[in-house]
Amino acid sequence: MISKFLLAVGLAVVMVATSVSSYVYLGSRQSKVAAPVQKPTAATPRAQAFVLPGTIYLAQAGALYSFSAGRFHQLTSEAGWMQPALYPDGSHLVVVRRFASYSDVYAMTPYGAVTAQLTDNAVSARNAWDIGANDWSFYPRLSPDQRTLWMSYDGPKIVGANYFDVDLAVWALPLGASIRQGKAWTVANSYTGGDMQPVPVSGGIMYTKFSYDQNGNRVGQLWFTNRAGAAGRALTDTSAGCLEPSISPDGNTVAMICTYQKQVSYLTIASWSGASLGPLQTVVKDQLVAEPIWAPDGSGIAYLAPGGPAAPFQLWWLPRNAYAPPAPSPIPTPSPTPGGPHNGPLPTPAPSAAPVAPVVKPIQITANLGFDATSPLAWSG
Amino acid sequence: MPLGIKPGHRARKSRGRLSPFTTLTLVVLAIAMSGVAGGFAYFMPAALVAWNSTAQAVQVPSPSPAEILFSPSPSPSPVAQPGAFTVLLLGSDDDSKFSADHVLTQSMILMRVQPATKEVTMLSIPRDLYVHLSTGGSGKIDGAYSYGAAGAAIATVEQDFGVHIDDYIWVGLLGLVKVIDAIGGIDIVTNSPVMDDYYPADVYGSWPYDYQRVAVLAGPQHLDGIHAMQYVRSRHSDLQSDFGRSKRQQQVLQAIRLKAKQLAPSDLPALATAIGGELKTNFGLDKVAQLVPLAASFDNPDAIHQVLLLPPYVEPGAPGGSLTPNWGLISRLVHQTFP
Repeated sequence: MISKFLLAVGLAVVMVATSVSSYVYLGSRQSKVAAPVQKPTAATPRAQAFVLPGTIYLAQAGALYSFSAGRFHQLTSEAGWMQPALYPDGSHLVVVRRFASYSDVYAMTPYGAVTAQLTDNAVSARNAWDIGANDWSFYPRLSPDQRTLWMSYDGPKIVGANYFDVDLAVWALPLGASIRQGKAWTVANSYTGGDMQPVPVSGGIMYTKFSYDQNGNRVGQLWFTNRAGAAGRALTDTSAGCLEPSISPDGNTVAMICTYQKQVSYLTIASWSGASLGPLQTVVKDQLVAEPIWAPDGSGIAYLAPGGPAAPFQLWWLPRNAYAPPAPSPIPTPSPTPGGPHNGPLPTPAPSAAPVAPVVKPIQITANLGFDATSPLAWSG
Repeated sequence: MPLGIKPGHRARKSRGRLSPFTTLTLVVLAIAMSGVAGGFAYFMPAALVAWNSTAQAVQVPSPSPAEILFSPSPSPSPVAQPGAFTVLLLGSDDDSKFSADHVLTQSMILMRVQPATKEVTMLSIPRDLYVHLSTGGSGKIDGAYSYGAAGAAIATVEQDFGVHIDDYIWVGLLGLVKVIDAIGGIDIVTNSPVMDDYYPADVYGSWPYDYQRVAVLAGPQHLDGIHAMQYVRSRHSDLQSDFGRSKRQQQVLQAIRLKAKQLAPSDLPALATAIGGELKTNFGLDKVAQLVPLAASFDNPDAIHQVLLLPPYVEPGAPGGSLTPNWGLISRLVHQTFP
């Protein structure tokens, strides 16, 4: 027999504990869809994490990170930094710093120290009333001789002109020089967003041009031009919707993404002759692939893609065997039976099945992070 | 009676104590009740929002004779499928430039849901379409809601397009931002950059008539609420203007649906808190409960049809920069899907 008083007190305690527990339990059963992403430096490397060669530079939440030997290092604060690209000699990076109304290109050491501001796109204080007079610079790259800065740029503008059409063109300017010494290499199509993602290749520039197809859809297309102001020529069809080109270390293959005007993004490669692209070969079809980049040693392609359905973007790695499987070893031909002349028919070799190349799947390198999928990766050897 | 025990004392003691069975029953009952109470407290915000947002009474005014005369010529209706229904999705700029319930609908999407075949058809109605309004007179269709809330918007679409609308959902601008943030963002493939130098800075700025620069770069990306809103709302740098924007709105709706499939029931309170008063619908809670699993079962992207009213269905040249509808063509198109 239990005292009523003790029972009442006990029940009160049990009820409070149960109701709080049930509340907390339900809270713990929330899905992880809105869980904040981790900082790359806070993420614990997995015990047997896949280690990529060299150093990859990536952007997350406005900060730049380097990734080498399986570990991340934060290079900058979270202050609008994005789109790193390496100097060809690997000594520096060119990066974009994006502000609310404009963006500028900077030179930076591989350790995150800014060494120079290469553009000056903020409108002057005198003309600050016209927000449209600010400029964007995106996707900076350096020429192989490190003397020319390539970028997408929407200036120069006339203050007060109230442009509703904002199209970036591919510009080239001597490294460290004023934009007045720069030159527009491409002529953007009106009301498309313009020409983006320039990649210096032998004999000219490969870039993504946006245009309207015959159905009025705005789509991306890879283009090539070898002269400032020249018309250039299309390398892919509008129906393929290809963008984000990346040239292989040997200069013979281009990786890109193709969207086919749908909510898909396939990793695609094609041979590059210096003048035209070969047939498009879809390499990864079941992911939303962004910003492919070749390993400096040619051992594969890294890219960004969601870590799960509709999730933030993670770093993935596709080994070379996935898109260029090694040639199968030749099937041995039967040799005559040793020991003298053979009487009768030669033995027929037993039919052996052709060796099946193992399916090589992409490898997820990171989890719980949230890389900026509009920021190309840079990779030093 | 045993020695040493007084009769009155024993009776008092016995009244102050309970048998083990009664005690056990009480404990079980208390645990069950308090567990339910904890759950009730957890889901209370969602229940309140659901109560306030759903089952909104809607007065659909009957069209005037003049408006009936204006209605498109009848064309064969699609075969009615069991369980199929038509929803009018309305999206409004509800920033401080406007007073509540007198907002324009920047986005109007007529959606036909066919559970039997798991097909969805989304028809975007241009906001600049020049139509007879159910409240009288003519004007851009985006003004219908501002003159008579959801009822007027529904009646206008019903009379002009000759369709029957079963339900409506209205979402405010901030509602879209909050919903997308509450589900952790969405993945979108932006097939081209969206650049806008005169994008309205009316959501979080101090002056609702201010502008800001927007640059949503091309390619696959994970968008939070603010950037998704910029993507669907900008129209200055698109030759297709409102049509291009409608296309982007349909992409974002599909991305939200895809992400919503990852949600658990325990996410509802956080989602409801985020939405607040930014959502209204005439769906009752019972129908919402039916729709959630239904929405999750629509997993074939090819069964989601997107329809835009591009020229020649509409032509420019109507008053105030609005669009003239070609009702003959529109009627034939609409009645392929919408009864």
